[in-house]
Amino acid sequence: MWLVAALSRPGADRGADTGDGNLLARLTAGDSSAAADLYDRYARIVYSLVLRILQSEAEAEDIVQDVFVQAWQQAARYDHGRGSVAGWLLTMARTRAIDRLRARSVRPEGRASVDMEHVERSLAGPADVVGGLIAHEEADAVRRALAELPLLQRVAIELAYFEGLSQREVAERLDEPLGTIKTRIRTGMLRLRDALAGAVTEGGS
Amino acid sequence: MNGAHDELVSLAPAYVLGALEPDERRAFERHLETCEICAGEVQALGRVTAGLAQSVPLVTPRPELRSRVLDAIAPSHVRPMKDVVTPRWTMGNWLAYAALVALVTGMSLYAINLRSRIESLEARLEQASVRLLAADRAVADAQRVSFEMQSAMAVLTAPDLVRVELKGAPAAPQAIGRALWSRQSGMVFTAANMPPLPAGRVYQVWLVAGAAPVSAGLIAPDDMGRSSGVFRTAPDVGAPVMVAVTIEPAGGVPAPTGAFYLIGKI
Repeated sequence: MWLVAALSRPGADRGADTGDGNLLARLTAGDSSAAADLYDRYARIVYSLVLRILQSEAEAEDIVQDVFVQAWQQAARYDHGRGSVAGWLLTMARTRAIDRLRARSVRPEGRASVDMEHVERSLAGPADVVGGLIAHEEADAVRRALAELPLLQRVAIELAYFEGLSQREVAERLDEPLGTIKTRIRTGMLRLRDALAGAVTEGGS
Repeated sequence: MNGAHDELVSLAPAYVLGALEPDERRAFERHLETCEICAGEVQALGRVTAGLAQSVPLVTPRPELRSRVLDAIAPSHVRPMKDVVTPRWTMGNWLAYAALVALVTGMSLYAINLRSRIESLEARLEQASVRLLAADRAVADAQRVSFEMQSAMAVLTAPDLVRVELKGAPAAPQAIGRALWSRQSGMVFTAANMPPLPAGRVYQVWLVAGAAPVSAGLIAPDDMGRSSGVFRTAPDVGAPVMVAVTIEPAGGVPAPTGAFYLIGKI
């Protein structure tokens, strides 16, 4: 009997087409097994980013749930010109996590969350690579370049990116002049950009 | 025009991080609409922010989260199977049935051959799994170290950082320690000249708030009596008055049972 079962299992000829486009089409069609596939593919990176921002497992789990529920609801409205599915999910995750972070800390002078929508727009951007899931080598290149960055530049960039602080807020947090912080963020970001450009050239040659 | 560009292009890095003030951002976005150089710069820097998102140490969420998320999406995400069509047997099917029996017999022989190949493949898969497990463990170790460094940095840059110097109690007069504590971000603890521990014992660090000390974490000194740890502490702990270290059974205890070895007032 196991032979009949093995011959009739339909899984063998499926599963080859695992591209994001196919996944989105299935999500849009309301195929709930696609939700499981979306989760299996991206839950780890989304959870890791949110955990990095919130440093709380319970809150990170709440945000991961919100992000995937929203992705399920909005799959039909997803704009393919905006970049990869991963970039879309990670942008939603970062925006929500930083909103949660701001709600948690009582800082009345903090910026309203409307500014975070602009972050989302700037990351989504007009070009399809912006905010997209970049290749593994590129993520590695950023990680390496980040590790080699002078600590003070790295701290300023991480406070802006992972805590959603403005340059002025970073300056207040570190008790440094605003001009110093602006220079550190600009210098650090340009170094990261150049490191990434180098990685692309190496990879492409 | 060029003067404005020279001034505005320098805002691109902070723009992609979302770190500009609203007025700066509006000025930059107006300029962006007409400036191809800045648009290219934003695109190149956008790869950096995408890289930042993916540079975080990978942490696997608890398996329970999967069913929680899928239940929230659709209360039952398992689609029902299609109705099974039951074949009807008639005399007319006999020839076809006989042919099928012959086919199944032939295939059974083939299946026996297949099964032995599957067994050998399974054995090789198991070996590969063992190697993968070892690699996973190495990655997990590296991620733990990286996560600790990030936690430590979060403590050191926290706005509510409190510094506590600890002195050795009579049980360990040479011991000294330092705790950097932030209610938001946790504690970085370092100590030196700690007496060696008896077997099956650990040092446990406590935040003493009122009558009920709260455990911060466990540390074990090296051969030189030095030790350090990065701990997450409960953000809802009452106003602590003291950081203290006791010797406790391995694994730690919910409330201190041993004598204080290090004490520092907040």
